[in-house]
Amino acid sequence: MQRGFQKLHSVILALMMMLVLVACPSASPAEDSREASPPAGSTDPAELPSGEGTSKEAAPVNSAVNFNHELDSYVPQKDHYNFYFTYKTVHPWWDSVALGMEEAQRQYLEKGIVVTYEYMAPEGASAEDQTKRLMLAEHRHYDVIGVDVADESVISPVIDRMVDAGIKVMTFSSSDAAAGCKRIAYVGNTHNYEDGADLTEALCEKLAYKGKVAILVGSKGAPCHEDRARGARDTIAKYSGMEIAATEYDMDSVDLAYTLTMQILKDHPDLDGIICCNMSNPVGAARAIKETGSHAIIVGMDHDQEALRYLNEGVIYCLGVQDCYSIGFDTLQVAVKIADGNQPGELFPEKTNEITTVIYQKDAAIMLELLYGDI
Amino acid sequence: MKRKKRITNRTLLLTAVIGSFLIMAMVTANSIWSSNQTLLETEEAVSAVSVFYLDTMADRRAQTVSNQISNEFDQMEKALAFIRDEKIESQEELRDTLGKIRSLLSLNRFALVDRNDIVYTQYTTYTGKSRHEFLSAKKMDDRIISTVSLYGSSKQLCLAIPTPDLTIMGKSFKACFVQIDIQDIINLLAVDDQGRTYFALYTKNGSNLSGTELGPVISNRNILEATKGLVSEEVWKENCDRFAEDARGSMTFSSGDVKGTMCYVPIPDTGWKLAVLIHESVISDQIRDISEKNLSTSRNQIVLSLLAVLSLSSVLFLELMALSKDKLDAEKKTSKAFQTMANTDSLTGVRNKHAYSEYEDAVDQKIQNHEIQALAIVVCDINSLKYVNDTQGHAAGDQLIKDACALICESFPHGAVFRVGGDEFVVILQEKGYETMDEALGQLNKKVEENINEDGVVVAAGSSVLQPDDRQLCDVFTRADHLMYERKSKLKALGAKTRET
Repeated sequence: MQRGFQKLHSVILALMMMLVLVACPSASPAEDSREASPPAGSTDPAELPSGEGTSKEAAPVNSAVNFNHELDSYVPQKDHYNFYFTYKTVHPWWDSVALGMEEAQRQYLEKGIVVTYEYMAPEGASAEDQTKRLMLAEHRHYDVIGVDVADESVISPVIDRMVDAGIKVMTFSSSDAAAGCKRIAYVGNTHNYEDGADLTEALCEKLAYKGKVAILVGSKGAPCHEDRARGARDTIAKYSGMEIAATEYDMDSVDLAYTLTMQILKDHPDLDGIICCNMSNPVGAARAIKETGSHAIIVGMDHDQEALRYLNEGVIYCLGVQDCYSIGFDTLQVAVKIADGNQPGELFPEKTNEITTVIYQKDAAIMLELLYGDI
Repeated sequence: MKRKKRITNRTLLLTAVIGSFLIMAMVTANSIWSSNQTLLETEEAVSAVSVFYLDTMADRRAQTVSNQISNEFDQMEKALAFIRDEKIESQEELRDTLGKIRSLLSLNRFALVDRNDIVYTQYTTYTGKSRHEFLSAKKMDDRIISTVSLYGSSKQLCLAIPTPDLTIMGKSFKACFVQIDIQDIINLLAVDDQGRTYFALYTKNGSNLSGTELGPVISNRNILEATKGLVSEEVWKENCDRFAEDARGSMTFSSGDVKGTMCYVPIPDTGWKLAVLIHESVISDQIRDISEKNLSTSRNQIVLSLLAVLSLSSVLFLELMALSKDKLDAEKKTSKAFQTMANTDSLTGVRNKHAYSEYEDAVDQKIQNHEIQALAIVVCDINSLKYVNDTQGHAAGDQLIKDACALICESFPHGAVFRVGGDEFVVILQEKGYETMDEALGQLNKKVEENINEDGVVVAAGSSVLQPDDRQLCDVFTRADHLMYERKSKLKALGAKTRET
């Protein structure tokens, strides 16, 4: 009897071990990540096609920035090009764009084509400064001049005049010129309005569509910032429970973003959320939120390293990451085509669409490692 | 008085067998203990050798990086000297000069920075304050070595030299710098050691800079996070502190079957740590191979020695046995000779009085045990021995004794003849001698009587047989002796010489 019981016990134990062994592989990171599923609106790995949502470096992080680019089959007509690019302000975001440009420059060099360029910006965003730079550049015989428009109302006429003077001008990275501007093409984010709307939608959902929020915008007149703010406002307007308490411009300054947020929090201590429309907004806002201990939820643009760290810490709820590396690579490639006298069409579009991916806290660490080696 | 134990052959054999087993057991136990001790000491030696080996290797590799940095700085100084000698008037000329420097001095990505933080490279001019961390410093007085994590997570080592007196194109320049891809440093360090060691570069917080795997356990993870739990908390914390400081250290850990030793050393001025790891199996396998060969040789030698000792012992044992046997035989022989000498009458060669006494004791015991049913004693005495001695000398007397003995022996061929006195003999008859006693005695007497007339030897004999009431041989002897004296009288009457004659 006892021997029979021992046999039965052994069989049960063996079965249990087999079950445990069989069960082990199913406890994969993919399932863990599904348990911490992001809020609606994010790219859930579980919704991806088979195989894309199962690794550590899962989408959306993997697809947020594409570092693998090759020049297309276009054969440049010259062996040396010289460009001038000017962008809004000195900031790591545009350093990332520069890296993409340098990769394209390297690949051209491998083909025996030398591409030299200047890539210049002021310390603070300024349409006046940008105008001066353009006026200096137009007399220096660059093959193409590229502009990240600081203020569309100020810069667009300057561009028109330069184009009329026979200078090849393109716009790139974050901001296009005003509609109807004569610039030849634009390479960069073409969906700033949607980005603002998407981030605001995520915030509204998080707040259960009820709360008081503030909007931080970057530079006044900067099309990308204004478009995002407009997208944010329109989204808020859809929900009766949502209210915009304040809208402020930080002029692409982190310090100013911090100061403005502190003031907003002082004026509205019951603030529920902050919508940040540029790269400096979320960093300054996060500093203030962390300092005051406010429970306001931050959604914002871009992938400043400090912003990603705040995302990792949970101070920021989500970030819209633009693929600046691809923007830079494509900018230089389009510039070469424009320099050869090509117009938008088969060789390149009039507006090159670059992606924005909303990432949440669970992806922050991977993104930090992927982009900055911050591990 | 203590009784002395007698050593027998069995004792000797047992001693030899047990002794041999004990010796073999001791030798075997000693051999096993030595083997185990050797293995233990080998393990300890492996740890010591691992640390020493890795420490040296880490030092050498750290020195390689330092030399590379020093070499890069030297090249940068040469580049600056070259630039100062050139008359650069435009940005194009500056780019050309930077191109020449790149090809002449093998300085990749050599760049100049002006007072407005504008960076000039061979192909690009850009505003670089946000891109190069060292430009954030308000003042730059000395060389700067910093680590740059580029967007896209590639990492570079940035070396910068201040250039306070450099002016080109009317612009004042604040610094020059190069950025060395860490992969190039890895390639420099990745000497072929047949995959026996692993190395990686780390920041002070343990982050892997090189992307190289420090073995399968630590892999390319943060080294401090990866080693947590592999060693004791105390050791781990101590190493964390050492890592954060500019200190060197080592750590030995076990993970499953893998036992690894890792040494790390700081690379001067970089804030980096270079760690080298080896799995102890690499060294221990080699040392174990050597040890096992030595142990195998030792074991063979021990086995051979044992066999030789056993063979030698066996030979010695056999020889000892043979010697003992010979000695024993000789002793037996000597003892027998001594016994023969003690029991034999030297003159006549028959047994003497001592032998008779022993014989008498033995027979008495048998009589008492009723083991003897038939026994007779003949007591013989030589006539005129004293007369012959006195008149003819002792030699004639001795001859008379011999002749008398010969006569007696001749008469009683189946009897035991003893010379129990100077002229007295005793013959003990049993079995056939007993059965033929009367006939023999008759012949003796007849011969004696003939000898009286021929002046030959005359022996008076009296006999008696064992009676049921007899308790000892003496009883028979007494009766025979009495009859001998009676015969002596008869012989005197027949003319035999007497003592007085």
